[in-house]
Amino acid sequence: MTPAPTSVAARAHEIRRLVVEMALAAGSCHIGSALSIADILAVLYGGVLRDLHGRPDGSSGDRFVLSKGHAASALYAALATVDILDPHDVVAGYSQDGGAYAGHPERTTPGVTTSSGSLGHGPALALGLALADREDGTGRRTVCLVGDGELNEGSVWEAIALAGHLALPELVLVVDANGWQGLGAVADVTDLEPLDAKLAAFRWDVATVDGHDLDALGTTLAAAAPRPRAVIARTVKGSGLDFMEDTFMSHYRSLRPADRERALASLERRRAA
Amino acid sequence: MRDAFFRALAAAGRDDPRVWALTGDLGVGLFDEFTRVAPGRFLNVGIAEQTLVGAAAGLAYAGRTAVAYSIAPFLYSRAHDQVRVDVALADANVKLVGVGGGVGYGHLGPTHHAIDDLAALRALPNMTILTPGDPAEAEAATHAALAHRGPVYLRLGKNGEPSVLPAGHRLAIGRAAWLRPGADVTIASVGTMLPTALAAATELERRGVDAGVLHYGTLKPFDAGALDAALARTPVVVTVEEHSVLGGFGGAVAEAMAESGRPGLLTRVGLADTFAHAVGSREHLLARYGCAPLGVVEAARRGLARCRAVRAA
Repeated sequence: MTPAPTSVAARAHEIRRLVVEMALAAGSCHIGSALSIADILAVLYGGVLRDLHGRPDGSSGDRFVLSKGHAASALYAALATVDILDPHDVVAGYSQDGGAYAGHPERTTPGVTTSSGSLGHGPALALGLALADREDGTGRRTVCLVGDGELNEGSVWEAIALAGHLALPELVLVVDANGWQGLGAVADVTDLEPLDAKLAAFRWDVATVDGHDLDALGTTLAAAAPRPRAVIARTVKGSGLDFMEDTFMSHYRSLRPADRERALASLERRRAA
Repeated sequence: MRDAFFRALAAAGRDDPRVWALTGDLGVGLFDEFTRVAPGRFLNVGIAEQTLVGAAAGLAYAGRTAVAYSIAPFLYSRAHDQVRVDVALADANVKLVGVGGGVGYGHLGPTHHAIDDLAALRALPNMTILTPGDPAEAEAATHAALAHRGPVYLRLGKNGEPSVLPAGHRLAIGRAAWLRPGADVTIASVGTMLPTALAAATELERRGVDAGVLHYGTLKPFDAGALDAALARTPVVVTVEEHSVLGGFGGAVAEAMAESGRPGLLTRVGLADTFAHAVGSREHLLARYGCAPLGVVEAARRGLARCRAVRAA
């Protein structure tokens, strides 16, 4: 079930707004990485992930594994939109001395499935969770989100190979393909295209989608497959902040207090568009 | 020890539906009984140790008790970041079982020797390290590890170790055990070196030296109280470990001795900051690197001589 696009759009805007507020309050980096997944998280937390607050029998619902932990602020923001975290708390406590929300997520935080920050861990963790889901036979799914730069990690491909071999339909891998990584363009560091063909060769069901098209994301992420499903979301780093969109430096730049007005104005323009 | 572990694993798999067993393509035939009594809860992830530990952690997050098995270095060293982040940081209910702790895979060479596992894992918060001294204790340690909630590294020898612990011996996590008292020197040994320590104590007795043997079946949490009791008897301690002398058992004892406030003199037996480059069986390598019973006897003699010299000065 995909909720009405208007509410998903509102959720996406709220996630972006909170990410910007967190970045302003903390003077922290990784804004670009958080903003590129804002729409994906809005769709996941807007209905694709079922029983987020647990099932009536007390068991957990669908799980989300954020493997690219440096986008933690987007995860905190998404959790705030579903009342698992408090929006004021996350802005006040993200990346602050004595705050409750680290720059990379910790499993002790409500709603956070795995501690991440060291890249390449999520797929194997999600595979283990999906094995448990398969044994339980309750139709629960585990969605793991990786960055495209993160695909440099060999451990990602170990897990991709095994999940394809095991044909785990309980597992969904979302690739945030924003095209940028630590020292430059993904295509210039280790070009993994054609990525869809690679994943398909590992026996995954593969779909490519505009990572900012909420309707398309909703349909694609909710679709079931008899095998593990990979969704390559083509995204824009820094999406929503027009003065840093699709730039290398959006990985490192922090927002200064003087950026506040134009940042919020840019988000408003995007919402109106 | 390996057979004892697999016996206990199968029993646990039969009795507890939460227990899963994973391997990184090692242990031919050894999981047969487990797969018979716990169908659907065994997985060979292939030669992919990062996935071995990661998937075990994922299962643990989903409420399972996940056992990850491999030759020791491939487990703690190849997949150390997964051990650190997915298991230790997450305080996950994963049991890391390393076979061939120390130089158990003697002839296969240094890639297969685990000589830094105790040092590497001892520094990880939340990690419990079990170091059984004989097959019966390995079986008990397996059950203790599965009953304990949280990360455990179970360091096994290989197979065919002698049974040296008395029938009444009970493993308790975090407790060292006195196997014989001694007024002159304490031989503190960890895990697989217990038979060596006992043989050394017998030889010292023949030479008129009263040596006690204190066995650490758990390295972490470290039983500092037992060491304190040893220092109350004699200041001379010899540590014996199938590991580098740096940062592992000798390191833990040195830290505890320095903080005990009691006078003490420590001599460490183990690999002296070297890989075991020589080619040979475990027994050959232990002798070659000064870790056979006579090496322990010599270390005790040195410790006692230094102690006398210090007192005379």
